[in-house]
Amino acid sequence: MSSRKAWGLLALALALVMALPLGVCAQDKVIKIGAMYPMTGRPGLYGLDSVAAAEMAVAEINAKGGVKGHKLVFINTDSQAKPDLAVQIAKRYISSENVHFIFGEVSSGAGLALTEVSSQYKKIFIGTDHASTQLTSDKLQPYYFRVSNNTFQSMAAGALYLKERQASKPWTTLAYIGPDYAYGHDQWNELKYNLDRFGVKYKVVGEYWPKLAAPDYTAFITAIMKDKPDILVGGLWGGDTVAFIKQALPYGLFQKMLYFSPDGGGNYELMSATGDELPVGLALSGRHHNNWPDTAANKKFVQDFFKKAGRYPSYAAEGAYSGIYAIAQAVEQVGNPADTEALVKAFEGMKIKLPEDPEGFTSYIDPLTHQIVQVQAIGETIANKDFPPATRMLGNWKVYKAEEIMPPVEYLKDHSSEYLKGRLPK
Amino acid sequence: MTGADTKKEVIFWGLLAGIFGLLPVVSHNDYHLIMANHIIVWGLFAVAFNMLFGITGMLSFGQALFYGIGGYGVGLMVKYLGKAWFLPGMAAGVLAAAVLAYLLGFLIIRVSGVFFTILTLAFGQLAWQVTFRWYHVTGGDDGIQGIIPPGILGNKVFYYYVCLACVLASVWYLRSLSNSPLGLILRCVRQNPARVRFLGRHVRRNQRRVYVISSVFAALAGGLMSGVDNSVHTNMFYWTTSGEVILMSVLGGIHQFFGPFIGAALIKIIEDVVGSRTEFWPLIIGLLMMTMVLAFPRGVVGEFQMLKARWQWRALERARRG
Repeated sequence: MSSRKAWGLLALALALVMALPLGVCAQDKVIKIGAMYPMTGRPGLYGLDSVAAAEMAVAEINAKGGVKGHKLVFINTDSQAKPDLAVQIAKRYISSENVHFIFGEVSSGAGLALTEVSSQYKKIFIGTDHASTQLTSDKLQPYYFRVSNNTFQSMAAGALYLKERQASKPWTTLAYIGPDYAYGHDQWNELKYNLDRFGVKYKVVGEYWPKLAAPDYTAFITAIMKDKPDILVGGLWGGDTVAFIKQALPYGLFQKMLYFSPDGGGNYELMSATGDELPVGLALSGRHHNNWPDTAANKKFVQDFFKKAGRYPSYAAEGAYSGIYAIAQAVEQVGNPADTEALVKAFEGMKIKLPEDPEGFTSYIDPLTHQIVQVQAIGETIANKDFPPATRMLGNWKVYKAEEIMPPVEYLKDHSSEYLKGRLPK
Repeated sequence: MTGADTKKEVIFWGLLAGIFGLLPVVSHNDYHLIMANHIIVWGLFAVAFNMLFGITGMLSFGQALFYGIGGYGVGLMVKYLGKAWFLPGMAAGVLAAAVLAYLLGFLIIRVSGVFFTILTLAFGQLAWQVTFRWYHVTGGDDGIQGIIPPGILGNKVFYYYVCLACVLASVWYLRSLSNSPLGLILRCVRQNPARVRFLGRHVRRNQRRVYVISSVFAALAGGLMSGVDNSVHTNMFYWTTSGEVILMSVLGGIHQFFGPFIGAALIKIIEDVVGSRTEFWPLIIGLLMMTMVLAFPRGVVGEFQMLKARWQWRALERARRG
């Protein structure tokens, strides 16, 4: 054998050694949770934070002796946010790994694919970060529950914020910039629906649809400057928000209009990536905030996450953390992680105190739509160096009641799966 | 083909049908069935792709276009007309792929080499963009879910056997084609197109022919996959899907007819086994591909054939000396 081939074989052997099982040891009484999160690429940070937070919750619960004699076991596979891969992983979890719950996902496309698997195999799927309203309306099935806000809730809160603002600082024109895919379009449609529902008068002067992960927003920025909306609604997220804000700064865009992004715009990821460059006075929100509510539970969650991961969490983390606690609470009530039907009943209407709950409010799962019902806060960017490397955080909060921002029955009547249709009040 | 070759061929087909045919009997694990289904369907896609690349020398970076059309043919029919339209959707997808490949053939087979590759990539990405952005019709990046085959096809084991029968029949047809006079001309086209013209044969016409055939079977693979995953997504059109099928072919060996099939099986198994243990599995695939390309450029099947030929030669040498 030539030395070239010998080296080749050696490299091949090394690769195989790296692939040797690093499996989780099976225990007798366990609650097995099979998660799918993207760990690489643009949504990778959301996956990394979700997994770190879920592992934190699992460690906390196991340290207290588990749930009714069961230890929690959490496994995760990189789904790369690809729906087909997520489906394959979920089927492996269910058929070969005997998981009790499937869990996770950042991408709504993958979430929608997974809810089909969950429905087919009658296995409970806990959604922790994907936001498409369809999962708890048009595509709702009995075994799906979501423990983070959907886009409808964010946009309803957004519409209320704009209504209030119209009363204090009159505005008339609105424009929207969002990524040209389902998430971007859903946000805009749901915002308009809610503005109409709350009787807000407005005029749309522009819609701009950059592609996801667009490197250059100059053409859109100049068009926005020309259209001069009073409010620019942003549906961008992650690196796209960062790139847009950085590129819009030299044009003075933020002095000419209010930039308003109520779903994903207020993620800590933006604050940590932009530092001093982030203008003050932008109105943003997200599914969780590191500095709101100012409660002991939220502070503990944020600091514990920092200790574990060495960074402050993006909003995805709290969703995963909440998901694990929701599972623990349901199993605590039922006693058996394999009794799926009883667990479904336990989840429906479950009340659970979570880090993002302000004093006097406890999150609960809507028995009709299986969507968690939570208070939403929208803040303005202000100087705040408590969570480095960010030098801006959100403040001057406006808080919206949980029930006010849920989809009304009229909306659900037009957007319901067969399963939901049968449950809607006549 | 010699008598010994025919015997080997029969043994290979027997093994292929036996291993995949007996799997549902030996294992009652749903996931093993799904994995096997993924392997055979990707195997068909890879073999069909290699008719272009390995046999005719046309590196298409856009076969995902036809794979996606096959998948969305089923997906759209089921979404808008109901699940009874699963099979007609599959036929429509295959037909649409044939017509599109035939028409595209006039445009893109005018050029060769890297220009052909870039054009196929461009058309593939164009289809991806249309599917991704036309979200009122295609569901955009949310894709289409709930694609459940109707009637008895809804039974997972039965559907697996239907897939297996389709794949075996398709691969057998492509194998026959590869061994036919047309296959010979295609190999000549790869090696020296000018000489093919001197022999009075049409290079472009034959290239177009194989482009249509390869695309039809890519679409069939996409259609079959929609029933395995019960959903279709824009990823099916994306360039990474075309890239994956190239990786499978290179890993298995592009100059061996069954090489891409073996490559597909290896990639799917590695993806599953390593992917379930570390998120760094693309690194393992990367290392493996680097090793294969640098040290074993003939691919797994090609190197195995080479090794076998060397052993036979050594045995002959020993017999001659002894």
